[in-house]
Amino acid sequence: MNGYNFAYLDEQTKRMIRRALLKAVAIPGYQVPFGGREMPMPYGWGTGGVQLTASILGADDILKVIDQGADDTTNAVSIRHFFQRVAGVETTTATTAADVIQTRHRIPETPLRSGQILVFQVPIPEPLRFIEPSEQETRLMHALEEYGVMHVKLYEDIARYGHIATTYAYPVKVDGRYVMDPSPIPKFDNPKLDGNPALMLFGAGREKRLYAIPPYTRVESLDFEDHPFEIQRWEHSCALCGSDHSYLDEVITDDKGGRMFVCSDTDYCQTRRGEVA
Amino acid sequence: MNLSWPALDDTVHDSQRLFRQVLGAMSEPGTVHELVVPTPPAQPQKPLLGAALWGALLSLCDLDTTIWIGAELDSPALREALTFHTGARITDDPASADFALLTHASFDPRTPFAVGSDTYPDRGTTLLVAVERLENDSNGNTKGERDGQSGWRLSGPGIAESRVLDIGDGAGCRALMTRLAGNRASFPQGLDAIFGCGARLAAIPRSTRIASAEARVDSREVN
Ligand SMILES: [Zn+2]
Repeated sequence: MNGYNFAYLDEQTKRMIRRALLKAVAIPGYQVPFGGREMPMPYGWGTGGVQLTASILGADDILKVIDQGADDTTNAVSIRHFFQRVAGVETTTATTAADVIQTRHRIPETPLRSGQILVFQVPIPEPLRFIEPSEQETRLMHALEEYGVMHVKLYEDIARYGHIATTYAYPVKVDGRYVMDPSPIPKFDNPKLDGNPALMLFGAGREKRLYAIPPYTRVESLDFEDHPFEIQRWEHSCALCGSDHSYLDEVITDDKGGRMFVCSDTDYCQTRRGEVA
Repeated sequence: MNLSWPALDDTVHDSQRLFRQVLGAMSEPGTVHELVVPTPPAQPQKPLLGAALWGALLSLCDLDTTIWIGAELDSPALREALTFHTGARITDDPASADFALLTHASFDPRTPFAVGSDTYPDRGTTLLVAVERLENDSNGNTKGERDGQSGWRLSGPGIAESRVLDIGDGAGCRALMTRLAGNRASFPQGLDAIFGCGARLAAIPRSTRIASAEARVDSREVN
């Protein structure tokens, strides 16, 4: 025995999370409280996502872990190693080969397929929290669909900057009902939430909340008639693969101020370069 | 003494596999999933509590859950088996049940299952319903070939366009589907349902829109 259960969590905790996940799927965008467990990693390292992944993962699943689109950051590598060690699962960097993808701050550029599950690490699950600190109050606001304040916040942006300045964690409405925080993905990724064939699960470790977007669910980014939702655009193409429709990171190339724009999704970029070569 | 109600061969991995199938069923309403579960014993009533619902119970229930059992399925042997295999508490109060075991035949829309509250809609009963028929329009039955006219057209989250699920056409089936169709008016409060027919399982969560598929089938037949 290794001293811990398959995928680390004990079976009772997994069952509790699994029951909560079924309710989350049945009520798209609604935050289900769950009795989270302490994980052998600090909050901020995706303990919510890790607990969901641990509860759904099977021995035959192939797992991919990304952080800001990259498979090779410290956070992604440590979570991948964690599941290799406690579940013995096969891992991959290829989006197309993965059954379960745990992610922090991005949705892969390669379209997901039916049967895949995308697990988001969520720092703050409540989109109304910055307006209303009380959990009791935000629950009531969700119950009454009192989402006017959300529009007021976005409209203040327009008044101040001439456009909506929110670029990450841009709020969405799920199936015409719940306003939901899609986690700090760039708003560039918001359109991928709409009608996606994959199941999307969201886990917040510190606040012990989980929520879900089932496949093929209508997800709209909040906006205004005179200021429709727009995604980020770049004047550049990726310096490595030439893509002109992926999310780009600016990277410093030398100490003389040289810089370039490259895809944030490393698997997407490498796959494209492989196909071109 | 509970040997006739079988346990899972491998608690950890079988529970995971069965959960993923239930999750798939709930995520894509009306899809039919074949569960590999040891077969429950012979039972006097019809429909039987089959392998699929038994597997769902074994993978989801434990001492933190309460189960309500409809009269037609209830027996001392089943109560003992559920307690023995899962540790779940059996309750006679449907409003406090996490899971309710019933059959389509005896569904009574007046049974006061929990539907959650507007602030905590998740605190509702999940119905586990034994049915005698469970087919959809992509499980080897094209719409034109379906002999029954008892299908229900589902749409909403988890469904790209629409999907027809047929659970049979008895009065109980109609009452049940009418009750589930009523979820839309009370959303986010509502009942989530998992159907089992032998080893096959499908689900209709409260987010699903339900319409009768009869109109289209009838018009096809009339023409
Ligand atoms: Zn690139």
